[in-house]
Parts: sequence; structure tokens; C-alpha cells
Amino acid sequence: MDAFWIILTGTLVALCCGLLGTFLVLRQMAMVGDAISHAVLPGIVVAYLLAESRDSLPMLVGAATVGVLATILIEWLHRVGRMQTDASIGLSYTTLFAIGIILISLFTRQVDLDQDCVLYGEIAYVPLDLWIPADGLSLGPRPVWILGGALLLILSFIGIGYKGLQLTTFDPSYAATLGVSTVFWHYALMSTVSLATVVSFESVGAILVVAFLIVPPATAYLLTDRLPAMLGLTALFGFLSAVLGYGMAVATNGSVAGAMAVAGGIWFVLALGIRFFKKKIISIIRT
Amino acid sequence: MANKIMYFFAASLVLGAGCKAPDATDLPQQLKIVCTTGMIADAVANIAGAEASVTALMGPGVDPHLYKASQGDLQLLSQADLIFYNGLHLEGKMSEILEKIGRTRPVIAVSDGISEDRLLKLANVGDAHDPHIWFDVALWSKAVAHIGASLERQDTAHADGYRARTAGYLDSLLQLDDWVRGQLASIPPEQRVLITAHDAFSYFGRAYGVEVRGLQGISTVSEYGLKDVSDLVEFISGRRINAVFVESSVPVKSLEAVVEGCQKRGHQVRIGGMLYSDAMGAAGAPEGAYLGMVRANVRTIVHALKGMDHAEDSH
Repeated sequence: MDAFWIILTGTLVALCCGLLGTFLVLRQMAMVGDAISHAVLPGIVVAYLLAESRDSLPMLVGAATVGVLATILIEWLHRVGRMQTDASIGLSYTTLFAIGIILISLFTRQVDLDQDCVLYGEIAYVPLDLWIPADGLSLGPRPVWILGGALLLILSFIGIGYKGLQLTTFDPSYAATLGVSTVFWHYALMSTVSLATVVSFESVGAILVVAFLIVPPATAYLLTDRLPAMLGLTALFGFLSAVLGYGMAVATNGSVAGAMAVAGGIWFVLALGIRFFKKKIISIIRT
Repeated sequence: MANKIMYFFAASLVLGAGCKAPDATDLPQQLKIVCTTGMIADAVANIAGAEASVTALMGPGVDPHLYKASQGDLQLLSQADLIFYNGLHLEGKMSEILEKIGRTRPVIAVSDGISEDRLLKLANVGDAHDPHIWFDVALWSKAVAHIGASLERQDTAHADGYRARTAGYLDSLLQLDDWVRGQLASIPPEQRVLITAHDAFSYFGRAYGVEVRGLQGISTVSEYGLKDVSDLVEFISGRRINAVFVESSVPVKSLEAVVEGCQKRGHQVRIGGMLYSDAMGAAGAPEGAYLGMVRANVRTIVHALKGMDHAEDSH
């Protein structure tokens, strides 16, 4: 049963992050997940100062608030400040992270307070993190419920906003002539990404989230250039990474999150190989 | 391509299924106890004797701040009959998981054995207390007594044995406490200053009359400022302190800046040696057990602060 919960959690994270990551990869903003993982530090410190506790809930609220703030800042610098996206991502997260460090050294330098010890969850312990309401009946792991809820939100966001997201991703100027607001869809997507990543950090830790935001979409992008197929393949590779990764973690008695991220890389290399040979075969047939 | 994917899918399933760790073939009456840190595991093993198999999640040299769970750790925790952890947020976010396991099985924070007024409050914000309770041997005895009492309660059939071994272990802790006090008293009072890179020795300092100065806060993210370095240089040169200390888990670089700063001001201060802070030494070595670790630390501190040659004492 442990295996089932861990693979299910891994798959849910893969779906949450991968589906949103598809749009990020297409918009060349893939590093936004890594940026958010650093940028949330000041949110954690402020939440601690206000709530005077290191419980999950205040940490999560603080992190999510600053996460959204970070994505707004990234978009604003890109749009108004006319900076390239990579530069605006780099500027935003380093500044926010640095503010976090300064806040720690000013107010809480005695307290063990960083993402690793108050925010990041551990996927290996998901089967132990049970949600047991007052009546004492176990409803299964808490992260599965949280991530399941997040996935529903993300699916309905993509379902409702599909046209807008597609248009503003591939052809912003055409979207503008149709009266579709690129600004609105940018902010909507980025806020969703920010919430999804912070919630996933809390359940499974950072490395898996950053990997699943980028690697399955990048793998899918090697094999197709149609958006629906890319979303489908991303989901498939995310699931396969969770399964293969869990198998590798059991075989090596290693870190589950690490193994799943590596598994994502293995599928990517395989897809790269398939693409390479497909091109070769086509060129041989043509000559 | 579809075939290929199916093949790997199947292979990974086989891989996953074929490698399930076999159930431990322990005697059925032997308790399975899992502890987070080596210090706790050492105390539990001493008290439990042959009554239990004891495992530590964070082995030698593992910094609790940087601990990452492996698949095997999940198995250990879910099969454990009894779990001991430090508490006071030493285990970070993992403590929330441990508290949750506590709803179905006994999970005990050893720091619960220490009354709150004996704990050092950190900063002026929130509920945070310094978790490094094991360096004040008398304080740690309270935690050890709590471990003994918990074992008696959980395994009443062997209660007498637990009580006897707890008393024995507490006795050796008492002797150790006396020894540490005596050793540190041999350092001239104005030289009795312990300078390390991060604040793990506050309880030690309070218990044995040693002034403790750290360069960095408890968190590994917080960085020391330039003023911290110059203040420390000022302090060391002013008091003519002989040595500063490094810890197994903290980079030596930060303190090297301090040593250089003192040299520029004409005061020779040495790196006095490495102290065990958040984790013990390798299993089997004397420092791999709590008593040996404390002795090794105290010996390193006394030799260096008295200005003796450290080379003769290298382990």
C-alpha cells in the first residue's frame, strides 16, 4: 500500500506540475519553478514573525503569498521593465531570497528557519502523513487530498482557459487582435503555477517539483508539436517517471524524490534517441 | 514507440516488485525501536539491552538539518513498535509526520522529559527553543530518564530490566557530568570561551560556565555579516583567546576569516579542532557513542583553550 500512495502522490505532482509546465516550457519560462522555490523565503520569515510558530499552515500561506508576488514581479519586470524573461526571473528571485536572508539575520537568526526545515515535505513519508478526522477513520494520506484538489483546480483552469492560454502562448499579437488579453492570461497562468508549486513543495519537496515542471513537458515537446498531444504525453511521461522512479528508489534504497527526478531524465534521453533515429530513418528513406 | 514504452513500464514494475525488502526475522517479542538521532539511539540501546533492536535514522555525521529520507527509512518507521525523537523542531518538518504516527503508535519526544523552564528560548519571537539539549549532560539525563520511563510503560513485561539499566546509564551520565565540570574548571576562567561557527553549544555553556560565541545563527541559511566577523575578531584579540572550533557539519571557511583577522591584529588564535555537534562519530569508534563523543569534545576544548599542542590529541 505504501508503494501505491507514493506512486500516486508522484503522479499527482507530475500532473499538476507537468500540465502547467507545458505552457511554461512553450513560453520559455521553465525556470520559474526553481525561482519560486527560492523566492518564498521572505514569506516564510514574515509568516513566522506573525504567527510565532513553524506549523505547516502559516508557512504555506506565507510561501504561497510571496510565490504569487514573485510571479507578478517577474511578469511586471518583463512587461513594464522590458527585461528578457530569464533576466526578470533571475532578478526577482534573487532579490526576494536576499530579502529573506536579511529578515532572518535581523529578526530570527537564532531560529532554524528555512524552506528545507519548515516547508519542504518528503515524498517517502507520504504514506505516514495520514488525514484522520475526529471520528478516527483514516482517509488516506493528506498530501494525496491536497494534490488531488490542486489537480482538479488546474484541470478546470486549463479546461476553461484553454483557448486563451493557447492563443497567448503561441501568438500573442494575434490574440491581441482578437481582443484576448495576454496580460490577463499571463498573470492567471503564473499565479496558478505559483500556487501549484508551493502546495507541491509542501507535500513532496523542491527537487521533484522543479523536475516535473520541466522534464516531462520537455520530453513531450521532443515527440510532438501539437498542444493537446503535448499535454497528453506530458501526463504519460510524468506517470512513467513516478513509476520508474519509485522502482529505482526501492532497488537502491535511495531518495524517492531524487529517483523520480532521475527517471524523468531517463525518459527524456529515450525520447531524444527516438527523435534522433526517426530523423535518420526519414532522411535515409528520402535519399 | 508504444511497445518500447510498455516494455520499460513493465520492467520498472518488475524492478519495483522484485526488490521489496524482506521482513526482518527478529524474534517476535523483540521490540523494534526507531530513533531519529544517534544520541537518542545510543541512550535507547543502553536502556533496552537485548529487549529491542534499535535503529537511528540519522547515522554518523548526518546533519539533522540536511537529512533526507530514503525508501528504507519509510519501512523502518512504518514497522517500528516505538519511535523516539528529539523534538523542539530539531527534526524540522519531519516532526509533524512523527506526531501523526503518534496517533496510532507510541512516538515519544525525548525533550518532553525536560521541563520548559530549563529550556533556552530562542530570540524573542514565537515558540522556538534551542533543540541541542544533549550537550548539557545533566539536562540530557532528564531526557534519558524520560526514555527509561517510556520504555517501562510500553513494555511492562521487562520493566524491571529497563529500570535497572536506566539507573546504570544515568549513573554513568552523572559521572560524566562531574568529569566534564572538573575538566572545564581546569581552564582559567577568562579563557573559558567557546567560539564556534554555529550556535549548538548554548546548553553546554550554561551548564559548565563557558561563555559561548557563535558566528552564525542556528539556521544554515542565515549568513554571518561582516560586522559579526569584526566583532568576533575584536573579542578574541581583546580576551587573548587561544582557539576557535569547527564543527563537523559547518564549513571551516567562515572561521578562517576570523583567524586571519586576529592575526592581522597581532593575536595568534588557532583552529582548536573539530567538535561533534549535531551528529556523533562513526559507529564502533569511542566517539560513536554519546559518552565518548562528549569526552572527545571536552578533551578537544580543554587542550586547545589551555594552549596545549593539539597534535598529541588528534584522534
